Amino acid sequence: MQNPVTQINPLVKIRRNRILPVAGMVLVRVGQKVTPGEILAETLIPTKHINIDVLNALGLKNTDEAEKLIDRQVGDLVDKHDIIAETGGLFSRVIRAPMPGKVISIKNGQVLLEVESRKVVVQSGYAGQVVEILIDRGAVVETNGTLIQGVWGNGLIGFGPFVVDSQSIDEELTPASLSINTRGTILAAAWCELEESLTLAGSLPIAGLVLGSMSPRLIPCALKQNYPILLLEGFGRVAINEQAKNVLLASAQKEMSLNAIKWDHYSGIRPEISIALQASGAPEVESAAIAEGQKVRVHSSSYAGKTGVLTAINAGKTTLPNGLRTATASVLFQNNEKTVVPFSNFDIIEVEDRFPA
Amino acid sequence: MATLLTDVNSVLGIEIGSVQTRAVLFDVVEETYQFLASGSASTTCGEPIFDVMPGVIAAIRDLQEITGRFFLDLNNKLIIPSHGGVEGADRLLITLSWGADLDVVTFGLLNELSLETANRLARTLPLNVVDSFGINDRRSTQAQMDALLAAKPRILIFAGGSDRGATRTVGRTANKIAASLHLFNAEERPKVLFCGNRGMARRVKEILENETSYASTNNIRPEIENEDLTQASFDLNQMVIDEKMNSINGLERIAAFSNEKPQLTGIGFQRVIRFLGKQYDPLRKVLGIDLGSAHVTAAFANHNESQQITLPIGTGYGLENALQQTRFADLEKWLPEALSESQVMDYLWQKTLFPNSLPVSETDLQIELALARHLLCMTMRELELNAGLVSRSFEPVLVGGSILTHAATPWQMLTALLDGIQPLGITPLVIDKHGILSLLGAAAKTNPLLPVQVLESTAFINLATVVSIGSKAKSGTVVLKARLQTAAGKVRELNIKQGELASLPLAFGETAVLMLKPETKVNIADIETGKEPIKVRGGVCGLVFDTRGRPLTLPKEQVHRLAMLDRWSKPSNQ
Repeated sequence: MQNPVTQINPLVKIRRNRILPVAGMVLVRVGQKVTPGEILAETLIPTKHINIDVLNALGLKNTDEAEKLIDRQVGDLVDKHDIIAETGGLFSRVIRAPMPGKVISIKNGQVLLEVESRKVVVQSGYAGQVVEILIDRGAVVETNGTLIQGVWGNGLIGFGPFVVDSQSIDEELTPASLSINTRGTILAAAWCELEESLTLAGSLPIAGLVLGSMSPRLIPCALKQNYPILLLEGFGRVAINEQAKNVLLASAQKEMSLNAIKWDHYSGIRPEISIALQASGAPEVESAAIAEGQKVRVHSSSYAGKTGVLTAINAGKTTLPNGLRTATASVLFQNNEKTVVPFSNFDIIEVEDRFPA
Repeated sequence: MATLLTDVNSVLGIEIGSVQTRAVLFDVVEETYQFLASGSASTTCGEPIFDVMPGVIAAIRDLQEITGRFFLDLNNKLIIPSHGGVEGADRLLITLSWGADLDVVTFGLLNELSLETANRLARTLPLNVVDSFGINDRRSTQAQMDALLAAKPRILIFAGGSDRGATRTVGRTANKIAASLHLFNAEERPKVLFCGNRGMARRVKEILENETSYASTNNIRPEIENEDLTQASFDLNQMVIDEKMNSINGLERIAAFSNEKPQLTGIGFQRVIRFLGKQYDPLRKVLGIDLGSAHVTAAFANHNESQQITLPIGTGYGLENALQQTRFADLEKWLPEALSESQVMDYLWQKTLFPNSLPVSETDLQIELALARHLLCMTMRELELNAGLVSRSFEPVLVGGSILTHAATPWQMLTALLDGIQPLGITPLVIDKHGILSLLGAAAKTNPLLPVQVLESTAFINLATVVSIGSKAKSGTVVLKARLQTAAGKVRELNIKQGELASLPLAFGETAVLMLKPETKVNIADIETGKEPIKVRGGVCGLVFDTRGRPLTLPKEQVHRLAMLDRWSKPSNQ
């Protein structure tokens, strides 16, 4: 059975569909280079309508009569005070548009005008190149570079220079970690437990924040911030796993994109860090069957955030310390500690066999 | 048309859940339908495979290994019907609970009548009611249209008018809906299900069928005083399934092997509880609860009524919704060890990110069992507030959900159920260990013999028969003397003290006669204590006496509460 592979990859080919929720206008072309914040497509979503009751306003007897007097067609744009319907003749009674809009429907003596709409855009989210246009919906963006997938995001996209060092990446994010020098940068830290850290970061402002974990108490505060926040391990006090930490440290000072979308388990879309690089990478391996020799990251229970190697897939079902019986694998961590982990409690981060024959 | 025993013997049921896909085999053994075996595998509808078929095939392969029988040919195609009863199965049933809840809106006339019933109809299934519109809506017509557009529903439930009731208002509302549908692009228009005044069905169809996909069903409020959601719930389920067919890869392929459309898991569940409700004491109700990963489904029924709710809370995919309505104190009171808020909430919020993860340590398990209790409490409260449940006297209670059925010990399962449901009277607790209740309900429409016979078999585990005793006596006082005589003549006696959980051994399948002699003033719902002997059935935990009181109140002081929970972690008389 194929299991998802969580990408923690210093160099890989990344290909992502970026689409609008409804049909709209695509603003880019194939071959165009794009930045993470670049708008690929946009659309207008109607938000307010008004109904003009021509039938009753003109005191007419039936809808056919009303429709004969309506001077407009579906799709017409009207300005404020433009005539919608009139009886004609010497003492003409006139119905005018109360505000500018677009005629959406004419039915049963009623004219429906769309008078307000909201612009919705889709940004690239990655520094790359448009390789395919998805007609009326968006584009496919491709890039080569570093890709690290996260587990939670506050829904925002951002980009900027990534500033990190081997000390701060292992420490809690506190107000003391932030200064005027961090303005406009993307930072990384092990975890955050203080609301004031997040709000201070927002007031600088920084360009984005990568954390290993965060207290779940901070979720409402994180959702209010105006910069992307992305968690790599989850909730609690779990430092960034070794594999991701090494990749991040090697990416210091590079231009980073954060797509801190919320993980949707039904569609598979998840938050991601990407850094465009000149070199070409191999396509992502999105799934693999669990096999000995793979590198894995435990995400639940007491070993959360630890990476290790699968040394054995245990036969049948194993009895866990709490008495539950389930399929498990043996994992060897870097400190030579070994444990048994249920299949559902780890994800594969490297498919390549670390113990090739 | 109902299926005779001779037409269809073996039935293969596929249940596509949020986490697991199960393949279940029912067959005729000694002229009776039996549950034979089940296989399972991870559901593959979502990442990384996005196709239901690999999970279905893996589950069937697991079943093949267990039974030694082939259901797939060399090309991995299902063998339906069976070949000589040896390979394949005669019939395929599919139930489904995977996937995000569909967004719907409801239209009705009066808020407290048709609109409320329409919302109740929506709550019988895993749907998200984004907005509701009635004739008393204070928003302007324009604002309502805009709200409908912003809701982006996939289905619009339109109720209103008893069968000899409102016509003009129903017609006006239909016209309003038609005008509003013009705001949508043609391919994004919600389907409409009309479940109002039958006399207006043709007129409403004329107004709406040119605007969008339209269907009508029985009036959910045929008279002002009465609700009937049964047929409407089924027809709504069909609309939801049609949407899922378009969005779940591979579902059409597997459905092609079946003569019947897949059904939502909740519909089968509803049907089976309703059926059981007609079999038991008409003065009491049958209660069914399924604690799923994405939803909790709960239904109760007796001869006269049946109700079902589906709550968007669960143990995995629905956990985030549950946690947004949960304080630490709601969980802390059930924890048998002192844990900090961050230990508990960090664990549970982490589980929202990895809904398929399993508890490993004893502490992890206790946190998940505390969650199970809390979900059960929320469910019972919802049944009482919004589904008209007036008494917690049930016979029996059927429960499913892997957080309970795969918990480490039967006593842990028992205490979780008693703490969460807090039943009254004498209550058999039955566990759906194999998760087959919904499939039995799905089979019932065309094969009513199958669920009847399987429900009477050993496929379901009697966990215990519980006697819940109310008394104002001081803790530790003997409130009752119990005398249990088995069919084989063995006699056991017990002095039952206030504030405890005690049990007498009575094996699963054994029956006995219970005599209760009160030592002080006691109350057992629906029973006159000390009068007639009571026939009881055994279970894995035997016959259990619960004198902890209703509602169950726990000490606020942690040290006393932990001591009390520790006492209840095993029978007091052992």
